[in-house]
Amino acid sequence: MWAGIAKWYRQWEQEQLAVLQDPALARQAPFGYRRYVACKLAALPLRERQELYRFSVYWRGPRVWLALAALCLVLSVLGLLLHLAFMPAAPWWKTVVAANTIGLALSASSAGVWFNYRKIARAKLRALASMVGLGAIGGLFGTLIVTVSRGKPWQELIDDLPRTLMLVTGAATVLIAAPSIVLAVLRNRHYETANAQLQRDAEQARLARELSETQLRLLRAQIEPHFLFNTLGAVQQLAQEKAPRAAELTAHLIDFLRASMSDMRCEQVSLATEFGLVESYLAVMQIRMGERLRFRIDLPTGLAATRIPSMLVLTLAENAIKHGIEPSLRGGDITVTAHEDAGQIRIAVNDGGVGMSDTPGNGTGLENVRSRLRLAYGESASLVLSEAEPGLLAELFIPRKDAQ
Amino acid sequence: MTVTILVAEDEPLMRERLLGMLALAWPDAQVIAAVDNGLDAWDAYLEHAPRVVFLDIRMPGLSGLEVAERIGRQAHVVFVTAYDQYAVDAFDAGAVDYLLKPIQPGRLDKALARLREKLDSQPMDVSAVVRQVKAASPAPAREHLKWLKASVGKQIRLINVEEVLFFQADTKYTRVVLEGSEALVRIPLKDLLGGLDADRFWQIHRGTVVKVTAIRAAERIDAERMQVLLRGSSEVLPVSRSFTHLFRE
Repeated sequence: MWAGIAKWYRQWEQEQLAVLQDPALARQAPFGYRRYVACKLAALPLRERQELYRFSVYWRGPRVWLALAALCLVLSVLGLLLHLAFMPAAPWWKTVVAANTIGLALSASSAGVWFNYRKIARAKLRALASMVGLGAIGGLFGTLIVTVSRGKPWQELIDDLPRTLMLVTGAATVLIAAPSIVLAVLRNRHYETANAQLQRDAEQARLARELSETQLRLLRAQIEPHFLFNTLGAVQQLAQEKAPRAAELTAHLIDFLRASMSDMRCEQVSLATEFGLVESYLAVMQIRMGERLRFRIDLPTGLAATRIPSMLVLTLAENAIKHGIEPSLRGGDITVTAHEDAGQIRIAVNDGGVGMSDTPGNGTGLENVRSRLRLAYGESASLVLSEAEPGLLAELFIPRKDAQ
Repeated sequence: MTVTILVAEDEPLMRERLLGMLALAWPDAQVIAAVDNGLDAWDAYLEHAPRVVFLDIRMPGLSGLEVAERIGRQAHVVFVTAYDQYAVDAFDAGAVDYLLKPIQPGRLDKALARLREKLDSQPMDVSAVVRQVKAASPAPAREHLKWLKASVGKQIRLINVEEVLFFQADTKYTRVVLEGSEALVRIPLKDLLGGLDADRFWQIHRGTVVKVTAIRAAERIDAERMQVLLRGSSEVLPVSRSFTHLFRE
């Protein structure tokens, strides 16, 4: 029979450990009490499950029995000492049994509190009431047994009831409920700090990842082979017949490459720098596309020093070329403007091209702009796209906070 | 016989460059048209039926790939691209001719030498390779036109493209024929072409596009000429030689 119990215990223990590691396994537990316990375990938050798992693995096997034996030994010695000190007349084994019972019950309840602190801390009053209530019922029950076993008259029990009740309730509150709740609250506070820290770490890691992804995408957009090869082809053609124009185009290309290489390394640039970059890009495209592209750039001097995340306006200008002008038979006008209104800066890129319906595949560039705005300003900046007649209007709204 | 060439490239400097280099490398060939978008390329192709067509891949209107698909095996196609790695790999695998921009003289000479060898034989059909490249390209298919606006007197009439039996070019306008009525739209037919689903609307003539389901029959007039009879209209539409292959059994 002993072997049967040991086997049952081993199986159940294994099952619980497995569920603690992978809650999905709870559904495979056999019906009845085992399924019930498994589901309870599976419902615990990750951190508590991990704690319980570590605890269970640590105390697995003979270690727990040794610890229990040591605890019983300490409690027995305590009981004997109490017996010798206060009631040498009564039989010694009674104090020893009582000390063991109370001590083990307290240990078990502390263990319960140790792992259930979230629940207890969330509903302190309910926990307090149930602990005190249970204590009071236990006390009354004990008094009842004493009354019956010693053959005392019932009247005495009823007369003493208020005093007994107060005594037992007080003892339960002081000895069990209060320490348990204090323990639970402390544990819970620790849990919450740790949890908040974890969340902060995760958020930070996510932001860092987003930032490096953005930089990578910028780098890739930067050396767009179509842009580079087509521009070099144009330079080559101009060099043969119209050397001054070739020199001009080369100068714009150099400006563009120089500015974008240095911008890419900065998180923030001044609007003057960014608009300069956009201008050299559009100047290159204008020479390449000829009369199909016209452009105008307007930056008020008051905004020249305002800092914004780098490459944002350039991305919008590239989009205007790629999705507005290039697919359009007639081409169009691009205007890039900035102005300030009520503490907010509005940067607008308008292309007179084909508009929104015919612009497939412009998702990644704009998604990139949106995520960089979120990184820099949270919810207080936005990118708004709207249909202009003709073409597309892209507007950046950025709070003005750091003019230098 | 002089070899005729069509050049389609949207950037003027790149177009000039290709034209200048062709003039040097192939002086006895004749460039019959140089255009800056896909719709004009297709129109010029229909007008002049050139033997050799240089097509930039990225162009407004119709892409070079779409123009090549329409041309089928009726001209020798050479694609021009600055950088489309996937397309270039597919062209290499399918032995399709292409040039990389900026075009370098040595590379052009090689391509032209290959081309001259092939001129006497029938052009290869590039449509299989083109379909493969189009399927792999990230840009989704162009959206098709749904509505046309036609002015009738003081009113603007909205025409559902599905109800059109056929379109006919009328100088700067397009005549749109429906069952029992017709209207004029202020868009040249060649500009409408990019918005029509090429599987459901067949071009049968430089100036005529007909809805496939509206075709009752096609009949042979003589060895070269054909005409189309319609459902819902008594008009008879001529099929030009470049399109008779659509009705071959």
